[in-house]
Amino acid sequence: MIQAGVIGVGQTNYDSKRRDVSMAGLVREAIDKAMLAADIEWDAVDAVVLGKAPDMFEGVIMPELYLADAIGAVGKPVLRVHTAGSVGGSTAVIAASHVCSGQFKTVLTVTFEKQSESNATWALSPRYPYSPHINAGAGGYFAPFIREYIRRYEPPEHIGWKVAAKDRQNALKNPLAHLQIPGIDEKMVSETPMLWEPLRYLESCPSSDGACAMVITSEDRVGSRNVAWIRGMAVRSEGTLSAGRDEVNPQGGIDCAKDIYQQAGIQNPRTEIDCAEIYVPFSWYEPMWLENLGFCDLGEGWKLTDEGVTAMDGSLPVNMSGGVLSSNPIGASGMIRFGEAALQVMGLAEDHQVEDAKISMGHAYGGAAQFFAMWIVSSTKD
Amino acid sequence: MNDSKINLLEAPFELSYKYKRSSGPVMSKFFEGLSQKKIFGTKSKAQKVFAPAAEYDPDTREALTEIVEVGPGGTIESWSWVNSPRSHHLLKTPFAFALIKLDGADTAMLHMVSDCDESDLSIGKKVLPVWSENPTEAITDINYFILES
Repeated sequence: MIQAGVIGVGQTNYDSKRRDVSMAGLVREAIDKAMLAADIEWDAVDAVVLGKAPDMFEGVIMPELYLADAIGAVGKPVLRVHTAGSVGGSTAVIAASHVCSGQFKTVLTVTFEKQSESNATWALSPRYPYSPHINAGAGGYFAPFIREYIRRYEPPEHIGWKVAAKDRQNALKNPLAHLQIPGIDEKMVSETPMLWEPLRYLESCPSSDGACAMVITSEDRVGSRNVAWIRGMAVRSEGTLSAGRDEVNPQGGIDCAKDIYQQAGIQNPRTEIDCAEIYVPFSWYEPMWLENLGFCDLGEGWKLTDEGVTAMDGSLPVNMSGGVLSSNPIGASGMIRFGEAALQVMGLAEDHQVEDAKISMGHAYGGAAQFFAMWIVSSTKD
Repeated sequence: MNDSKINLLEAPFELSYKYKRSSGPVMSKFFEGLSQKKIFGTKSKAQKVFAPAAEYDPDTREALTEIVEVGPGGTIESWSWVNSPRSHHLLKTPFAFALIKLDGADTAMLHMVSDCDESDLSIGKKVLPVWSENPTEAITDINYFILES
């Protein structure tokens, strides 16, 4: 297979309302930063891949055409990806696949959401005939899965608070992060209102505006650039209501992780992966995904969190950037995980850099915990 | 089961929501200009003028930030006559949808030409805007264009 690597990551700052820019201006801000970091001009871009969550979120149908000028896609092959919340991750995988195919040398990929122009909870919960309007949103959908996790393994209540506080403490070291809450700690989280029992307000992700872009190129075009080599990447999906599906520990996530570990030659992810950006929009998803991704046995994930293993100074830092709990421009949230994983192995993560990070993981999930996208990036090619 | 006895149900389902749009600095200037009876375009490094204002040049991909005033007159590049306007049309009397290249611009803008007969229209005819007296910072701040007398 043709080797591909990330040579530029560009992110906007994330905020509840980026009223200073249009949708076009928002995506272009991320693209300009990614191309500057990659040190390339437009003529080097062979194709453009755009991802975002449902068109209903902003009410723009086929945004890849609406934004064609801004994303530089006029006269170039363009593809739009949509896999719900995992879309940022699957967009990265698909963009990299274009390079690995040999058909394209350099691909620009961008993802975004401008939640201030709409209301994602509404878009996820339309008023259908014959049924009452539930209007539960994502938190209401995932809360029962979290309840079941707690029933199975009996972790203490403070695990969720601990994840929520840890990710927001990390966000204080990332100037792009949306939520900046000085003095955030477990007590502050525990005193916020219950939104979707057992999830409290500060255990939930915010609604953000933002975009993330990456430039992915083939080995022969890397030159002397700093590069995050893509050592393994995969996507998996499963049905929303498939019989026998385990929503707490979905098979799609297990299979996707095994696939990328095998591609990357990783035997023991817990010791071989230096840090990870995992899609945690609600606090309890950190321990749940640690188990699903094979970092530990079932029922052991909450212990890793509790022991501080996933903290900045732990042996497996998770969500150094502050994660989805600190910034959630939905369509971009997965790509931010993938891009932040790349920045770590490129040594460009600044104040939230994990010292000597060589191998990192980017992870995204979406839909009813049914779509998965993951990659392993490394500072070395083999 | 006898299918003829099934009452086939049908229920109304209206999907609607009020979105918001942040126009950004370039398009905000364009729409604000309309409310002041001015038409703004954007100029590229190669001196190409886009009107209505565009945020990005589709060919060079550059961000367009230089605002220039164009028009208010322009030239008909092409048109399509609407002899019997329907309820959803903004004008109630016969009119043309027209591509109008405003004076000083290199691209055309879609608008309407009215107060004329179909036989008065031809490609290359000069037009002038008729401004709304109740501007709302929207493209409808130009009611329509009329033929230059």
